[in-house]
Amino acid sequence: MAAIVFWYTFPLETYLPAAIVTARQVDTLFRFMSAAGSALYIFVAGYLIYFAVAFRARRTDPPDAIGVQIHDNPKLEFWWTLIPVLFVVLLSIVSVRIWYEILLEPENGLVVEAIGHQFYFSFRYPQINGEVTDEMHLPRGVPVTLNLTAADVIHGFWVPAMRLKNDTVPGLVTTIRFTPRLDGRYPIICTQFCGVLHSEMNKQVLVIEEKGAFDKWFKGWQQKNAHASNALPAAGGQAISLQGGNAADGQRLFSQKCEACHKVAPFDQKLVGPGLKGVLHDPAHPNLVNAQPATPPNVAAILQNGYTGSMGTMPNASANGLSAQDIANLVAFLATLK
Amino acid sequence: MAVAAVHAGGIADHIHPEPQGFVRRYVFSLDHKIIGIQYIITAFVFLMLSGLLAEVIRTQLLNPNGGFVASDTYNEVYSVHGSAMVWLVIIPMLTGGFGNLVFPVQIGARDVAFPWLNMLSFWIFPVSGLMLFSSFLMGAPTAGWMEYPPVSLQGAAGTSMWCAAIFLVGVSSTMTGINFVVTILKMRAPGMTFTRMPLFVWGQFATAPLLMIATTALAAALAALFIERQFGVPFYDPTKGGSPVMWQHMFWFYSHPAVYIMILPAFGIISEVLPTFSRKPIFGYKLIAFSSMAIALAGFMVWAHHMFTSGLAPFLQLPFMIITFVIGVPTGIKIFSWVATLWGGKIHFSTAMLFAIGFVGLFTIGGITGIFLAAVPFDLHVHGTYFIVGHIHYVLVGGSLMAIFAGMYYWFPKMSGRLLNETLGKIHFWLFFIGFNGTFIPMHWLGMLGMPREVATYDPQFAFWNRFETVASYLMTISILIFFVNALWSIRNGKRSGPNPWGARTLEWQIPSPPHYYNFKHIPTVYGLPYDFSQPLPYKGLDEELTDSPPPVAAGAH
Amino acid sequence: MSVASLARDAHGEVDQLYIETRELRLQGFLLFLVSDCVLFSSFIFAYLYLRNSGQGWPPPGIQRLDVAFAAWNSVVLFGSGATMHYALENFKHGKFMRYIWFLLATIVLGAGFLGGQVYEYNHLIFGEHVTWWGSGIFGASFFTLTGMHGLHVFLGVCYLTVLVLQSAAGVYTRGKFFGITAGTLYWHFVDVIWVVLFSIFYLL
Repeated sequence: MAAIVFWYTFPLETYLPAAIVTARQVDTLFRFMSAAGSALYIFVAGYLIYFAVAFRARRTDPPDAIGVQIHDNPKLEFWWTLIPVLFVVLLSIVSVRIWYEILLEPENGLVVEAIGHQFYFSFRYPQINGEVTDEMHLPRGVPVTLNLTAADVIHGFWVPAMRLKNDTVPGLVTTIRFTPRLDGRYPIICTQFCGVLHSEMNKQVLVIEEKGAFDKWFKGWQQKNAHASNALPAAGGQAISLQGGNAADGQRLFSQKCEACHKVAPFDQKLVGPGLKGVLHDPAHPNLVNAQPATPPNVAAILQNGYTGSMGTMPNASANGLSAQDIANLVAFLATLK
Repeated sequence: MAVAAVHAGGIADHIHPEPQGFVRRYVFSLDHKIIGIQYIITAFVFLMLSGLLAEVIRTQLLNPNGGFVASDTYNEVYSVHGSAMVWLVIIPMLTGGFGNLVFPVQIGARDVAFPWLNMLSFWIFPVSGLMLFSSFLMGAPTAGWMEYPPVSLQGAAGTSMWCAAIFLVGVSSTMTGINFVVTILKMRAPGMTFTRMPLFVWGQFATAPLLMIATTALAAALAALFIERQFGVPFYDPTKGGSPVMWQHMFWFYSHPAVYIMILPAFGIISEVLPTFSRKPIFGYKLIAFSSMAIALAGFMVWAHHMFTSGLAPFLQLPFMIITFVIGVPTGIKIFSWVATLWGGKIHFSTAMLFAIGFVGLFTIGGITGIFLAAVPFDLHVHGTYFIVGHIHYVLVGGSLMAIFAGMYYWFPKMSGRLLNETLGKIHFWLFFIGFNGTFIPMHWLGMLGMPREVATYDPQFAFWNRFETVASYLMTISILIFFVNALWSIRNGKRSGPNPWGARTLEWQIPSPPHYYNFKHIPTVYGLPYDFSQPLPYKGLDEELTDSPPPVAAGAH
Repeated sequence: MSVASLARDAHGEVDQLYIETRELRLQGFLLFLVSDCVLFSSFIFAYLYLRNSGQGWPPPGIQRLDVAFAAWNSVVLFGSGATMHYALENFKHGKFMRYIWFLLATIVLGAGFLGGQVYEYNHLIFGEHVTWWGSGIFGASFFTLTGMHGLHVFLGVCYLTVLVLQSAAGVYTRGKFFGITAGTLYWHFVDVIWVVLFSIFYLL
């Protein structure tokens, strides 16, 4: 009884704030399971110890003394099968309800993207170019749809105060939805081993603040990133520098590595990939395969990161053996194709 | 099958000539008992090595900033620790070790179905262990025992060696599984129906199909990772069209049944020790046997509960959550049955019994935290944190390892003819129990408060409990060293045990300690369950076993 | 006509030891085939999972498979399954020479299938679009699965050759021929795996 009361009232939030709405429900689930679990455990361990003591062989017993030779007790076994089954049903109902609440968060909230890198998270917001690379800010009370992906290996995006995490998987976009409720600065922690500095990938914070402060922060980043490219940055966080690209070297690289799949011909003349004539000049040129407009930084990003999707696979820089300078050279060459 | 008459020249009567020479008797032995001992000794060697790695982990975690070893070395250490404990200690010890040692005698057989295959299975094991530890020389794997790609694709050469080593030990496991299934199906003594088999045999019978089927699935995953790393064949690399999540499906489809491989034989050991030292039958025999099979089967259906945060479609989380909850029911039934076995008993607190009772207390905690983890909303919070580390060590160390120690104190006299020292045993138990709980309980709240797993450094707010855990872990290590001293000393100097020091009733206790290589002079006939202490032994034909008479057909004349 | 009625030892007594050993070996061998099946199933799962990951199939730049040729090659393999079946039947009925001929036919057909696979691989590797093991997920799944299968066929052909030699030396009698039974089971297993592989690669 005491255990049940203890756990039911245990103030988890004093140790770890509940930063989002569903965090409190997760805490409730924890308290419910702890109450039930400790009651069960006290029951089991209690009887275990009690029987061990009460039925110990006494020194006065003859050496061949035996216990009560019962094999089973159908009535007892029936009850101790039925009660756990009922408990499992109850626990399922409670868990599914809370699971559903988490799932039910609005789908059209503020859409933010978090991208895992070795060894930090970057964030993309609508109407901010490029990426925010230090803190993640969110306004209190506004539902958020957080899309997660990674640039290199699997990371785990966890904010303990949210009681919610998801892995960031390269090549996949996963989504979690939640509504921030409590102002504060909450650590973001990587929970999926991602390489030698995985232990250090816990220095960033999620900042929840009231809308006015958030707007101010937002504008600050808009201005800061006004000239940033929207291309996915290369692994390691630096966008490719396209200065100093040598078109002649680029042409040589092109014939070595690209001509198997791309012709220097109009777009519709496909080999494996589209023809690349005019890719960086023709205003009517369609968007690149990843739906980005055909600008030099975006082309560079595809060369760096590759692409995998319903249209096929374009190998990335390491698959093609391209250095950053090679990419710059290729872009310079492509820029000469009018 | 259940014919009482002795077969004319059949396997049951066939006693081959005694092997001659040290090599044939103790190195390349076909005798399941020797092979079992070989497995146990080798697994204990790996326990020492892997335990050393564990203490490197704990020593590193004394300080929030680490400093004991370099980060990358630390990552290698915990990766090999986890891999070795699972594949080189617990699984071989419980299946190849205790399985081989005990159950063929318990079913009244002379050996397993394929003794030569058994010997091959054993010898693969130390080779693969050496391969795994050799990975330290070429850059050991660093991505944990789970080696998720793409990060494992980036790992040093040792990761490929890890793939090869685990693949090889998996081959050994699969062969053992096939061997055990056929042995139990076909070689039980006359009269031993399934409902008269000791529960340890049921534990092995539930485990063997898992060894056979699940391990092969892992072999495929490892082979794919290996050829991807070595030959660039893309299975898991997303930039080449592969899928990192697919590795997780393939890996966990094996590794969840693997955890049942690691616990079902342990359940079997506990189900033998508890009745013997309570002097009364195991409570609920049929339910325990049936629930073991149910757990083995259902174990194939819950793998994705390790993947709730991996990017699965949300609706898929539900069935895995519910089935995992459901597995808790047969497990709970067993726990209640074990507790009820103590009721009305005459309990003798030998060291084996202490470990068995301790198992019930500690495994229950692990089982309860497992149910917590099955609840998706809670798992979304604590997945990948020290809560998981706490849970797995409660079931594997508080569970499987405690059962292993119980089995050691119980069956050591049968195999060596001498008893382990009880005083040292009790010191071992209490020191281990205290050290263990001190090491692994705080991990549960450390995880909930924000400490992730697989980290060489951590937030200073967790420093006190990490230090507490490290000190407690040293107590555990000392207790295990005491056990080794006890074992080594008792082999020569232990009190002689005689055939049945515990007054137990299963077949292995009705023959000499240590048993003859042929186990039984005459295969007995079985006509009841062994657990009823008020009845005479339910066997016929054992009269000559404890006498000096020679075996009937020693030279295999046919 | 059962093995039990024919298995006799040197004294003409029913060889109970052999019968029981044979039962064990049969069950062990079947379980081995089950675990081999799990191995193939795991890779088949990987193939179906990857294929389903939304990239379109076959992916661009991959040589198209020659379904007609593979169909003929399959007929060759299934034919070898039939000849193996007749080989075993003839042996059980004591028709030794017919058994040997059918066994040799199985070996020839099996080798023929392997030759066909070599030709198919050639067509993929040296065709218009170079398609090899590392060629994306198509190469990974196709060559791994058909390669594993081909390896199994190759080992089977080797084993059947050994069977011919052993049979010629008189190792097997009508009461003791587990080696031939095992070979037949294995060969049918290889056929069944090919049915699945052919369907999922060439027909799907």
